[in-house]
Amino acid sequence: MTNAVQSDHDFEVQDIMINMGPQHPATHGVFRMVLAVDGEIVRDVIPHIGYMHRGGEKLSETMDFRQGIGFMDRTEYLAQFNAELSYVMAVEALMDIQVPERAQWIRMILCELNRLSSHFMFTGAFGTDSGVFGTAFTYAFRWREEIMDLFEEITGDRLMYAYFRPGGLAWEVTDNFAQRVKYVLDQCRQGIKDVDNLITNNEVFKARTQNVGIISAEDAIDWGTTGPVLRGSGVPFDVRRDEPYLFYDQVDFDVPVGQVGDVYDRWCVRIEEMRQSVRIVEQCMAKLQPGPIMPERMPRMLRTPPGEVYIRTEAPRGEYGIYMVSKGGNRPHRLKIRSACFTNLQALKDMSVGNYVADAVLILGSLDIVLGETDR
Amino acid sequence: MTNEDSAPARSLDGTIWPQVDRALSGITASAERAVLDVIVSIPRDEVVRGLKALKADEALAFDYLRCLTCVDNEEEGIDVVYHLYSTKHHHNLTVKAHLAPDDLFVDTATTVWRGANWYEREAAEMFGVRFRGHPDPRTLLMPEDMTDTFPLRKDHPLAEIEVLQGEGIAWGVEE
Repeated sequence: MTNAVQSDHDFEVQDIMINMGPQHPATHGVFRMVLAVDGEIVRDVIPHIGYMHRGGEKLSETMDFRQGIGFMDRTEYLAQFNAELSYVMAVEALMDIQVPERAQWIRMILCELNRLSSHFMFTGAFGTDSGVFGTAFTYAFRWREEIMDLFEEITGDRLMYAYFRPGGLAWEVTDNFAQRVKYVLDQCRQGIKDVDNLITNNEVFKARTQNVGIISAEDAIDWGTTGPVLRGSGVPFDVRRDEPYLFYDQVDFDVPVGQVGDVYDRWCVRIEEMRQSVRIVEQCMAKLQPGPIMPERMPRMLRTPPGEVYIRTEAPRGEYGIYMVSKGGNRPHRLKIRSACFTNLQALKDMSVGNYVADAVLILGSLDIVLGETDR
Repeated sequence: MTNEDSAPARSLDGTIWPQVDRALSGITASAERAVLDVIVSIPRDEVVRGLKALKADEALAFDYLRCLTCVDNEEEGIDVVYHLYSTKHHHNLTVKAHLAPDDLFVDTATTVWRGANWYEREAAEMFGVRFRGHPDPRTLLMPEDMTDTFPLRKDHPLAEIEVLQGEGIAWGVEE
């Protein structure tokens, strides 16, 4: 398992292969990578995925359009609303269903709150990766818990919500929705401030993350990376702004980008995105009006005409795409889930080679991977 | 795949098809309009040349591969589907290459975008499509030794994998 490398020594040196994962606390799930190291320097990275492959695309072909929503939660289990959204939007596009305004605003609010909870998860996990062990994690989870409580009140479930339906929402939100969202937003504002104060300007954190794991804008585009990884490299591509869906064209928000494309930039992009999400939810709440949450007439069994559509939405980790091919009937002929982490992980080798072994964990952490989404 | 049974065919007016047609000079391509994007069908042997032309063209600049996958149309063969995007001009295009059922190979698109690498590995193991010239043709999600069965093909039953793993858990077999 060793490869000879060129060196200026007069004795022969060999790369050592280090296995990391699939059971490893820093791999955020069941991810495995094999590192070839020359002393302390990483020379090659071979990622292995598929440990959590559940055949989701095949399963989705056997489930009708309402059953399929439940599976989407199980692919992207940290941003469930965003995953459901792509799926129901694909069905709506094929069937040409008009979604009532109120349902769209509520979807937007929940998706942005889900982005906040997902990014809080990232800040906690990444704090652990970078050596701020307990503190960042407990701080971040405290605020994430507030958002989870709200979701639980609305959907009745803490993780697998299955709340969106083709056409609108499963049921109306709770009566105290406005108060609860306001309370959660206040908590989130405080949470972002705390995490920011704790980590962003920390000298030790900066020393560890700046100029580590750099990927250039050209490489990032060529590898098809997406979300905060792509924006961290300075490419201002955000599906919400460039191809607006729901009512994202009616709210103001900024798309933060990094300059260097290192781990620190990816961190800063996410922190700024959290502030923008709070801004978006505030605007949505101001525009939320009473009204129906489902179209007046919906068929009892959803049947799509033949056709195909590729729906893309901006999930916290990047573009979450659903390519749905229908040949008529009540279930998709083919369903492809375009996963954000899947493409981001491809670029891992480019980011890691030439860095220290100790930073491999940081670079992997900065991608914020969810293996359920990668392997599907 | 055709849209014959659905609503009247959508017009290609106002789409990027004229520019695409110009960029693909010398390649026989046909277009149709789907719900969101324009779908361009390119013959299998010319598809990579076409993709390179689409990426190199100044007015199109499809530099970002959104998605690459296959669709099994059973006896009609398998379609390889490329979803392209331009980070410069913010437009989309879907490219399709049709493969006959007894002739499942296509040139690799990793020479156009490196990001095609894992998508092609996944499509290869799931559909049995060979991507000629792929730099790393290992399995990706499936076990290394599972190279003779293709789970996402339509003729592959859901429980087949349990059957392959041994009799003890072959609950999917109907007596």
